[in-house]
Amino acid sequence: MKQLKMNRRDFIKATAVTGTALSFSGFGSGMLVEKANAQEQSGVQIITTCCRNCTAECGVLAHVKDGRVIKLEGNPEFTRSEGALCVKGLSGIQALYNPNRNKYPMQRVGARGENKWKRVSWEEAIDKIARKLMEFREKYGAESVFASTGGGGNPNFMSPGRFCNSFDTPNWFEPGAAQCYLPRTLMFMFCYGGGTFYNSDTSLGDNNIHEAYDYNNLKTKAAVLWGTAPSYSGPSQAGRVLVENRARGVKTVVIDPRFTPDASKADVWLPIRPGTDVALGLAWIRYILENNLYDYDFCLKWTNMPYLVNTKTKMYLRESDIKKGGRNDVFVVWDKKTKSAQPLEYPWNDSFDVAIAGTYSVNGSECKTGFQMLKERAEPWTIKKAAETCWLREADIVKAIKIYSEKPSWLSLGVATDQNPNSTQMAHCAAILNIIMGNIEKPGAALQRFKNACRSPVGTDPLMNFLSFDQLKKRLGGTEFKGMMQWWTGNVAKHLNALKTGKPYKLKAWLERSGNKMGTLANTYEWSKVVHNLELIVHMYMYPTGFSPYADFLLPTNEWLETDLPVDCFNKFFPRQATTHLYETVNEYEIWAWIVKRCAELGHEQCKRTLDPKETAPQHPTFVDYQDQLDWWCKSYDMKWEDLKKGSVEKFPLSEMKEYYVYKQIDPKTGKPKGFNTLSKKCEIYLETLITLGRTGAPFVKTPLPPAPHDYNPLPFFIEPEESPNRPVGKEFPLVMTNGRLPFWHHITLRNIPYLREIQPVADIWVNPVDARKYGIEQSDWVWVESKRGRINARALVTEGIATGTVYMERFWNPENINEKTHGWQEMNVNVLSRSDAPYNEVVGTYTLRGYQVKIYKAEGAPKGVWTKPEDFEPWMPEISKPTKRVSGVVK
Amino acid sequence: MKKKTMLIDLDRCIGCFSCEIACKNENNIDLGVQWNKVFTMGPTGVFPDLEMYFLPALCQSCENAPCVEVCPTGASYINEEGVILVDHNKCIACMACISACPYKARSFNGKNQVIEKCTLCDHLKAPDKPACVKACCAKARFVGDAEDPQSDINKKIREVGTKNIHTLPDAGNKPTVKYILSDKTAKWHDRKSWVFFPEKD
Repeated sequence: MKQLKMNRRDFIKATAVTGTALSFSGFGSGMLVEKANAQEQSGVQIITTCCRNCTAECGVLAHVKDGRVIKLEGNPEFTRSEGALCVKGLSGIQALYNPNRNKYPMQRVGARGENKWKRVSWEEAIDKIARKLMEFREKYGAESVFASTGGGGNPNFMSPGRFCNSFDTPNWFEPGAAQCYLPRTLMFMFCYGGGTFYNSDTSLGDNNIHEAYDYNNLKTKAAVLWGTAPSYSGPSQAGRVLVENRARGVKTVVIDPRFTPDASKADVWLPIRPGTDVALGLAWIRYILENNLYDYDFCLKWTNMPYLVNTKTKMYLRESDIKKGGRNDVFVVWDKKTKSAQPLEYPWNDSFDVAIAGTYSVNGSECKTGFQMLKERAEPWTIKKAAETCWLREADIVKAIKIYSEKPSWLSLGVATDQNPNSTQMAHCAAILNIIMGNIEKPGAALQRFKNACRSPVGTDPLMNFLSFDQLKKRLGGTEFKGMMQWWTGNVAKHLNALKTGKPYKLKAWLERSGNKMGTLANTYEWSKVVHNLELIVHMYMYPTGFSPYADFLLPTNEWLETDLPVDCFNKFFPRQATTHLYETVNEYEIWAWIVKRCAELGHEQCKRTLDPKETAPQHPTFVDYQDQLDWWCKSYDMKWEDLKKGSVEKFPLSEMKEYYVYKQIDPKTGKPKGFNTLSKKCEIYLETLITLGRTGAPFVKTPLPPAPHDYNPLPFFIEPEESPNRPVGKEFPLVMTNGRLPFWHHITLRNIPYLREIQPVADIWVNPVDARKYGIEQSDWVWVESKRGRINARALVTEGIATGTVYMERFWNPENINEKTHGWQEMNVNVLSRSDAPYNEVVGTYTLRGYQVKIYKAEGAPKGVWTKPEDFEPWMPEISKPTKRVSGVVK
Repeated sequence: MKKKTMLIDLDRCIGCFSCEIACKNENNIDLGVQWNKVFTMGPTGVFPDLEMYFLPALCQSCENAPCVEVCPTGASYINEEGVILVDHNKCIACMACISACPYKARSFNGKNQVIEKCTLCDHLKAPDKPACVKACCAKARFVGDAEDPQSDINKKIREVGTKNIHTLPDAGNKPTVKYILSDKTAKWHDRKSWVFFPEKD
């Protein structure tokens, strides 16, 4: 081909390109980088740090030049991520230098919700806030002050709880907890006991299942991903290791209404109807028991399944129930040889022929074994019934169970089932399914008590003992939902109710740190009404959110690239260390500490006590200077912050981490096997502990609390969702709504990142083609999505990857509309539609974020002011800003 | 002659988009311009019997690169590593290369009036690797000179053999980028034409 010879200058002249474009000539995207990289060769410092754009905390190498972060890469030394970095971590620079950062403390000047502000000093802000809090405490009691947090966006997670305990208010919550992870941590604690924080449950999103990470020594044969999508939620860690597991022959089952990447790579996909998981779980249990697929020896000797339960009292029989002077901590079994009830001293007695199943009469009382109770509970749940209830095919369910029966295997339960009132029941099912298969502390199993670098994830000590018992009794929802005491938190819906009605008492102040409460709390319009009943709202975050306009004070916090914190990873510690510092942002920890200090100065005796290490020991005192806090953590983990900053500290070789069969180890004190950290020292299926919890609050409080309105159920049970296609509401609102992660965001964070919004500019709603035809919707149409509580817009993604009758949306909000009347949370926020009203989970009070009814219909177009084109996001591209000195000594 | 190119294992790829963002970060790519893009292929089939895979799209590093042939200014060229590049000082954004590319794997930067494309992060010299390769959560991307027995890509090709190897349609341009996809994951979509990066209007 004959080439036309021309140069760039001629061409631009010939085509009369404007001067603006000319001024950029020679600087296409790539050219900028060539320049940057040429410079980079001199004076670039590589700082070892860790991400906090989600809970996985991947290792990061930050390239810093002249105080400015110019590049982020994964740290190959970080064992959990091995150098991988997901889009959330890779967005660190656009988050750090986002022009819309909260830069200075601000005080409201207009009306609440008007979004008008003036800059104030840190001293002034802290002083004014503390004075108000002290006033409310004096007039209305400390309980009129409440705090909230959330897992998204660089939290210091226990700080709000610690503040509340210091201030002596029982009220704090997060949109997660009962809706995220607490149902699982609680039920696995009761059933399995666990050891250190990790591997005590099977949540992949919370750094569990270490066996999957050791993929070069893989023993696992099958894995069940139930309501979890690690390719979406944690691609650089759990998503990544599942790739390695599958490549090495591990078979997988995925239970998820969505056809996720993990579902597409699974051996069986069960697209379950949202909210019906317990029905399926009970069917799995029934099938496994009926077909003898369970580990009989383990169930007999290492679970409480053979122990006899008095069906009238619902409690386990003790030796003291059948024998005068008998012991209260020795349980009773049925001996088939003597046809009598016999006390079984821990751990086992070979002289008995112990019955695992059966109903017996003991001293005239009907007793059943725990196994028998479970069997009867699961009895109605045939595969056929589960298939009908859960909208699945019988053959697929059976195939999935058979895969799971290839042992060793593990069953991971994700957040999905924490988001409806069946939450603890499903976590109970998941624990049972791991236990009855004997997938406990053996090579290839998920539940383990491996050694860990630290006693628990590095965090702020909560000072739970500082909250007085009288105040604890006032906790909103505390008596009803006693399971929440595991996290020492209050109930979200009861806070909403108190704000609405002033009952049982008035709430006056809300101290809030999280991405956007207007995006994460169910039934958002209700919240937007009740915020006006408060006299003080403080919002602390890295950037303003849809919640901020309702606040009286906006306090700027650090991005993770500005934060120091030790991060543990298996056998090592890594530093999250500040790479730079911008404006007057501070670590969230400091804000809470400063308020406590100021309250102490204003006469709050208990806050004053928290400043004294003798008073708080063995927990840490309130440090006003965060550097002191860092030193305290490091000292208690036998290291120095300065050493950790160099890269990492190894506590012991990785090869020493694994310890299998810890329950069989002999406890030198008793000469008996250690067993499990449960009531019976065995894995527990029938949970007497749940009944005791509801009646007294044990094991979380020593002095009994008033009983819950009714006994908690000791075995899993299924409740059809309150709003369901099978109820009258399904007539007007025929579609079941579910949620779940996309790779782009963690919770409600990062909607202000230009590169991410370029890929996913708006909220999609997944609709099956059959439903799309039915409701006259075509691919990419804008639709209205409406529930009984409100309506929002979304863009239709017509796909076979969701069942007919089900729709899926991810949470969304639009920071570009923060100055509009909607404040960006009314356009596409799925929680406008979700339910904050009853029924609640009986143990922890979970409300309904997923599994409620909606309808969809075509909309005219995109909501007003919403950005949809890549160029729209230009105003959020990183801005040039010089590093500033860290704020310190605010409260002397 | 050296030919630096890429092999992507779609049995491993989990569609996390890390490669896309890592590429944009490393090369400071303007909004609206893309050099690397993850396509979701499917789901196909009828619910619930579905298949899906992800196809990360980028310059296919053709042996007979039509984009270089048609360039009127010599801006498009092949360097000593075998990487097809655009010299922005010579580019007149005449769009000839975009028309010639069978995959529309080049992107027009309207702000700067130049044509841009994947450089396989040519500015990062060995042993450093392209940003997309480093960030890939699934370790699905392999880069290097396919003929060099020491290269990651050559080792991977030898490991998998010719089975399950796919390339995009070849109209004589001989694309060298290869994809691994086995039927266990999904059947390969034999799409006749591709437009990776639509031109801006």
